[in-house]
Amino acid sequence: MPDLTASLARTLNPKVVVVVGDKRMNGYMWLRNMQNFTGQVYSVQVDPNEIPGIEEMGIKNFTSLADVPGDIDYVLCAVPRQISPRIIADCAARGVGGVALFTSGFAETGEEEGATLQAELGNIARDASLALIGPNCMGVYNAKLGVRQSGEQPTGEAGPVGFISQSGTHAINFSLTGAAQGVRISTSISMGNAEVLDVPDYVDYLAEDDDTKVIAMYVEGTKDGRRLIESLQRATAKKPVVIWKGGVTEAGARATASHTASLATSTAIWDAVVKQAGAIATVSLDDTVDVLKALLLCKPAAGRRMGLMAMTGGQSVVITDAFERAGQQVPRLTESSYAKLAEFFNIIGGSYQNPLDMGGTIGFGGQSDHLQRLLDILEEDANVDAITMELASGFMARRWKADPSSLDSMLDLLVKHKERSTKPFLTTLHPGHVEEIAAQARAKVIERELPVFHSFERAARALSLATDYWLQET
Amino acid sequence: MAATIRQKPRTTFRLPPRVTVVSPLTLIRHLDKMRQLMAKDSGSSGIIDQARSEGRSVLSEVEAKALLASAGIPVIEAKLATTADEAASIADDIGFPVALKIVSEQITHKSDVGGVVLNVEDTDAVRAAFGEIIKAGKKADAKAQIDGVSVQRMAEPGVEVITGMTMDPQFGPVLMFGLGGVLVEVLKDVAFRVVPITRRDARQMIHEIQGFPILEGHRGAEPSDIAALEALLVQLSEFIEAHPDVAELDLNPVFAYPKGAVAVDARIVLSEPS
Repeated sequence: MPDLTASLARTLNPKVVVVVGDKRMNGYMWLRNMQNFTGQVYSVQVDPNEIPGIEEMGIKNFTSLADVPGDIDYVLCAVPRQISPRIIADCAARGVGGVALFTSGFAETGEEEGATLQAELGNIARDASLALIGPNCMGVYNAKLGVRQSGEQPTGEAGPVGFISQSGTHAINFSLTGAAQGVRISTSISMGNAEVLDVPDYVDYLAEDDDTKVIAMYVEGTKDGRRLIESLQRATAKKPVVIWKGGVTEAGARATASHTASLATSTAIWDAVVKQAGAIATVSLDDTVDVLKALLLCKPAAGRRMGLMAMTGGQSVVITDAFERAGQQVPRLTESSYAKLAEFFNIIGGSYQNPLDMGGTIGFGGQSDHLQRLLDILEEDANVDAITMELASGFMARRWKADPSSLDSMLDLLVKHKERSTKPFLTTLHPGHVEEIAAQARAKVIERELPVFHSFERAARALSLATDYWLQET
Repeated sequence: MAATIRQKPRTTFRLPPRVTVVSPLTLIRHLDKMRQLMAKDSGSSGIIDQARSEGRSVLSEVEAKALLASAGIPVIEAKLATTADEAASIADDIGFPVALKIVSEQITHKSDVGGVVLNVEDTDAVRAAFGEIIKAGKKADAKAQIDGVSVQRMAEPGVEVITGMTMDPQFGPVLMFGLGGVLVEVLKDVAFRVVPITRRDARQMIHEIQGFPILEGHRGAEPSDIAALEALLVQLSEFIEAHPDVAELDLNPVFAYPKGAVAVDARIVLSEPS
C-alpha cells in the first residue's frame, strides 16, 4: 500500500479526476472548474435529474465510482454529509490517490454528530492511505495541469508560489489577487478541517515540489504544533516560507474556533514559531502578496540602506518616512555620487541628498538619459543596498495616455537596469485620481516582472520583511 | 519569472569526536565523572519521585533549586532548616549575609505574609528571623503546613530578568524570557520560543525584547553577560526536554551580572499524574 505522502503527490498531480455529486444548483461548478484540465474528467452522479446537464457538457457520467474505468488520482466530492462516508469508502476500495471533500457540516459545527462523522471519514482514509483533503474545503489548484478551485483561476504555466489555506475563500482570493499582480500559483491546497492531512504534510510536499519557489500559507491553527515547526524548518532550509496567521486578536480567536475547529493560540507564541522556523509573518492578503513580490522579483538585499527616487519634494519626504518607519535606512550617498550628481541634477525645484527629488531632472519621465544616469549612480553607490522609484501617476498619467510608448520606453529602461543591477529594485504606483490609467500602467509594469507596489508604505514593508529573511542568521 | 531567491545552506551537524586512545588514568577520570553524573541523575529523579509519592505537584523552592542545580543550571541553592538552630548552623556554613524564606506549599506569596527576611547578618539574627517567619506563616494561614525555613546566600544585586516555561496547547512547552519587575508585569515585554531551542533562538529571544538596551549597559552601567543568559536559556530548554514531568517553571528573578547569571528564586510545578 502506498503511504500518505505518495498518495498526496498523486492527488496533486492527477491524470484522472472524478467529480462526485456535482449539481445544476451550483452551476456544475466543480466540473466547470476542470474545463482546462489536461487529463481525463469523469462525473459520478446518481440523481437522474442532474445527469442530463452533466452529459450536455460532454462529460461521461457513472452512477457509481466502481464503474469508472482505470486508475483514479483525484476525487472532488460534493455529496451531502451523511453519504460522505460511503463515498470515502468507495474511494478507499478503488485505490484512489486522494479525495477533497467540499461537503461541510463536520467538526467545524462544534457539534458531536459532525465531529463523529469526520472522525469516521478520517479512519477510513487513514486505513487505506487515501489522501483525504478537508472536509469543508475547496480542493486543490494545480495551474499547470488545469485542476482548479474556481473557474476564474488561470491555467497553463505553473507559477512559483505554493499556497496552503485553512480557508477556501482565502485560497481562491489569494490565487486571483496574486495572479492579477504577477504572483502566480504552482499548487494551492484548501485544507479545510484537516482531518487526515494537516499543514505540515502540505508544507513537506511543497518544500520538495520543483515548481514551487516560495511557500505561502493562510493558517489559523494546527493540531500538532511541534510537527508544524519541524516541517517549517525543513522547508525554510530550501525556500522562503510566508505565514499569514488568521485569528490573532481575542475576537479573531473566537471566530477561529467556529470556523475550522482549530485551537486558538496566543499571538506571541505564533510570532515565536514563525521566527524560530525562519519564516516570514504577514498580516493580510495584500501584505502576503506584497512580500511575495519582493521575494520573487527582487535580488536579495545585502542591507537596509535605501536609495530613493521620487518626483517631488513632498513625496521625497514621505517616501523617506515610509521606509524609515518600516525599519529601513535612508543614508547620505557617497561623495563621489554627489560629485556626479552635481554635474547634471536640476536643483531648481529638486534636490539630491537622498532621496533624489528628481521630477525636473528626468523631465517627469521624458528625459531617459538623466534617469539612466541616476540609476547608474545609485547602483554604484556603496552606501545603497536597495533602490525604490516612484512612478507618479498623478504627474505622468496624461503623458502615458497621450503617448503610451513613453511609458513603455521608460519601463524598458528600468527592466534593463534591473537585469544589470545586483540590488533590489522596486517601483511604486499609487492609483491617485487616475485609477484606470494607473491600472493600465501597472499591468505594463507587472508584465515586465518589475515589482510594483500600490504605495510607498507597502513597498517599504514588503522590502523590510524580505530583507529580514535575506539577512537572517542561518 | 526570474525567481531570484536565496537558497539557505542546509544546517550541518558535527558528530562528536571519537576517542581513539584512552589511557587508564583518563578512563578512571571518565568513570568518576560518569559516577558523579549518575549520582546527580538519581538525585533529580528522586526529588520528583518523592513529590509524587507524597501526592504533591508543586515542588518547594529547596527542591526546585536542587533539581535545577543537578542539571548544572546556576541557582542560589537553598537548604531547609526545621529548627532555629539548624538555620543558624546552615547560615554559618554558607557565610553571611543570608536570606530566609518560609517553606510551605500553601503559602505562594511568601514576602506578602512576612515569610521572607533578607540580609540576615549573624547566627543570632538567623535564630530570631526563623521564629518570626514561622509565626508570620501561622498567622497568615493557620491551616498551612509549614515545612520549615529555607536558608540561602544573599545574591549580589544584578539586572533582574525572568525566564520560565509554560505549556501551550498546540506547541507544547514554550520558553519565555524578559526583564524582571514592572517591565514584565505591565509592559509584557517578553519573548517566547518553543522547546527545544538553539543557541541562535536564545540569542534572538534576548535581543528581541524592548528592554534589551538595559542588558547592554544603560547609562554607563556595565553590560550584562548576554552569553551567560543565552547558555542559561539553552540549559533550561535541555532541562525541560529531560524532565517531561515538569509542567510549569519560573526562574524569577534571575540576576544577570557583568560575568555570569544566577537564578535567585525558582518555582516548579509538575504535571498532573495521568
